Amino acid sequence: MTTLGNKRASYALLTLPSVFIYALVIVFPVVFSFVLGFTEWSGFGAPVFTGLSNYRKMLTDLVFLHGLRNNMLIVAVSVFGQIPFGFVLAYIIYRGLVKWGDFFQTMIFLPITVSAIVVAKLWNQFFSPAGMVTAIARILQDDPRFVFAIFEDRALAIVPVLVVILWYYTGIYMVIFLANMQKISPAVIEAAIVDGAKERQILFRVVMPQMTNILFTTAVFAIAGSLKSFDLIFAMTGGGPANYTTVIAIYMYLNTFKYYNYGFGSAVSIMIVILSLGLITLIQSVYRYFEAKYE
Amino acid sequence: MLHKRTFLLVLTALLLATPFVFAGGDGEEAEGDDVITLTALGYVDLTNEITTTNWEELLAGWEEAQPNIKIEWEYLFGEPYHNKLQSMAVAGQLPDLVFLWPGKRTGDVTGSGLVKDISSYVSPVADQFAPAAIAPQGANGEFYELPEQVTATHVMFTNNRLLDELGLDFPETLAELLAQGDVIRDAGYIPIAMDNKDGWQMQSCFLSALVARTGGREWLDAARVGDASFTDDEFVDALTVIKTLFDADMFSPGINQADYGEALNAFAAEEAVYLIDGGWRTNELIKLMAEDAHEYVSYEVFPALPNEGGLPGATALVAGTGYGMNANLTGAKADAAWEWIYFFAGPEGSAIKATQGWLPAVKMDLPDTISPMLVQLSEFVNNVPAGYVIDAVMDGEGMGVLHPAIQEMMFGSITPVEAAARYEEWVAANDSSR
Repeated sequence: MTTLGNKRASYALLTLPSVFIYALVIVFPVVFSFVLGFTEWSGFGAPVFTGLSNYRKMLTDLVFLHGLRNNMLIVAVSVFGQIPFGFVLAYIIYRGLVKWGDFFQTMIFLPITVSAIVVAKLWNQFFSPAGMVTAIARILQDDPRFVFAIFEDRALAIVPVLVVILWYYTGIYMVIFLANMQKISPAVIEAAIVDGAKERQILFRVVMPQMTNILFTTAVFAIAGSLKSFDLIFAMTGGGPANYTTVIAIYMYLNTFKYYNYGFGSAVSIMIVILSLGLITLIQSVYRYFEAKYE
Repeated sequence: MLHKRTFLLVLTALLLATPFVFAGGDGEEAEGDDVITLTALGYVDLTNEITTTNWEELLAGWEEAQPNIKIEWEYLFGEPYHNKLQSMAVAGQLPDLVFLWPGKRTGDVTGSGLVKDISSYVSPVADQFAPAAIAPQGANGEFYELPEQVTATHVMFTNNRLLDELGLDFPETLAELLAQGDVIRDAGYIPIAMDNKDGWQMQSCFLSALVARTGGREWLDAARVGDASFTDDEFVDALTVIKTLFDADMFSPGINQADYGEALNAFAAEEAVYLIDGGWRTNELIKLMAEDAHEYVSYEVFPALPNEGGLPGATALVAGTGYGMNANLTGAKADAAWEWIYFFAGPEGSAIKATQGWLPAVKMDLPDTISPMLVQLSEFVNNVPAGYVIDAVMDGEGMGVLHPAIQEMMFGSITPVEAAARYEEWVAANDSSR
């Protein structure tokens, strides 16, 4: 065997275990899910091929469509809420525009260090009909039967969940932005100040152009994370009442693991992947536009 | 060079194979000469102090009675239990003992052939149990589990001390109950404590009893198979009662936001005059309420409806849960599994559970020391006429349509007729009974 042949055989042998494990835990489940999405299968017996019927059923199900709408609101809050908010907070701390920057940085980051389930239970404790905030509101309103009606409104029930999501995840984006801002050479900022740049100009002309990469990366994280949102919402509301706060991941979970429609659940999971890829492609286009603009 | 390559190949093959060789190590069981070891998936809420203490007492009794049968437990509760059970069944890896429901809740698993039909074990002891518990669970008369109790899913727990304080009597009719609303609320109490965030409570603990009143077992039998429809008056009228009570502020405020247990706490704290829940709440009420309260809390059914064409004054009953065994068990292991199943639901386990506030399915004299609340529950289950519990006879997936529909109906987004139509549409297209 030639030396090149030996090298190739060695590479193949050395990478084989990793490739095998990757195929086992990533490729196989994805392909299996994709194929299963075209079948009806309860877990017992052989799956029955049903073509696109799972996708048709999904796209005409009002619960799925409401979940999709809620997911899009979460995407919006993540991309247009957490990221800008995190960016501004990071900028304020980076530029020393407030005193006790370290204290604020710790406080803003603190929520993300707590488990999502604990956070959900805490917020539930505050706002449930037997919770502390409700009890105070009853005293203030002088109405012993007062409850927060927003939780029972089909259009608005998701809003409290969005507020918690914004509060919970903003800190992580702030830290990411802050870490990247601290990589900007102080000499650049000082030069801008010497040249008479205002704070607004430092932000948009000096800092922002150097952050486009990280803004794009965080947007991708935000979109992918938003579309698979599950733990926090499931623990907070379970998707209820009346499916008002459901999201696609909860819809998938219930169909797959509560009603044992593995084929249908697989189709929903593939839909999540398709939506993620679509939105990330969209973000890529926006990124290219801004990249060209700043260059 | 060749030897070196061969050596490397053999070494690599060994490294790759090692994990798989050791992964198969579970198959070896190190058992003593006389000790039989069983694996079990238990249904216990380990976050609930009362439940956990009761369970430990039961296990202590078991270990004393059967020192030669060791059970290795894994515990889950609620949906995670069902997910794990289903996953194990799909993978063909059920443990030796599993906790099962008599109806459709675990119907996929019991219907898969992976759970043993224990009829031959049950028959010799069947006359020790209440007849309602010994109802076949499979299409061909199979038994998959031995019920630990007969469960009344609808009890209207009534605080008679509060009724006396307010100058009220237990209402005979729906109209009389509605008339009590202002008096109770003005005094700062909740008329009917109930929580329905999860959705099943309203269906299982209330709607089932209402449908038993309006249509009885015959109507629901007909609706299951399509000879009647869920859009019939029997079902719509039952839904309308719920809507009427909700609109009249009779339920706990924020009933559809409240976690299961909030209503129980409100009733136990004597903030509510009535509590609608299942009879299984007895053991928690016994522990939560002061002893003198055990004397003035009574077990009632919901007052009469204007149109009780089914079973007047009915509650809803279902044979209880219990343990079943893996179909692969044979010989001494199967006998050992049956020992646990019979201990759990039979006289020995029931004697322990009766002291904890459980009403057993086995016929037995209740100990003198038990709470009067448990005596009342026993009388309630034995004397009150009963219809089906809807989610025990209809597919579970349909509850994913019915429960939100009931909540939406309460919020006023849809009418009782629309809620009924939504459920009927799902049942007609999907329910396995149709």
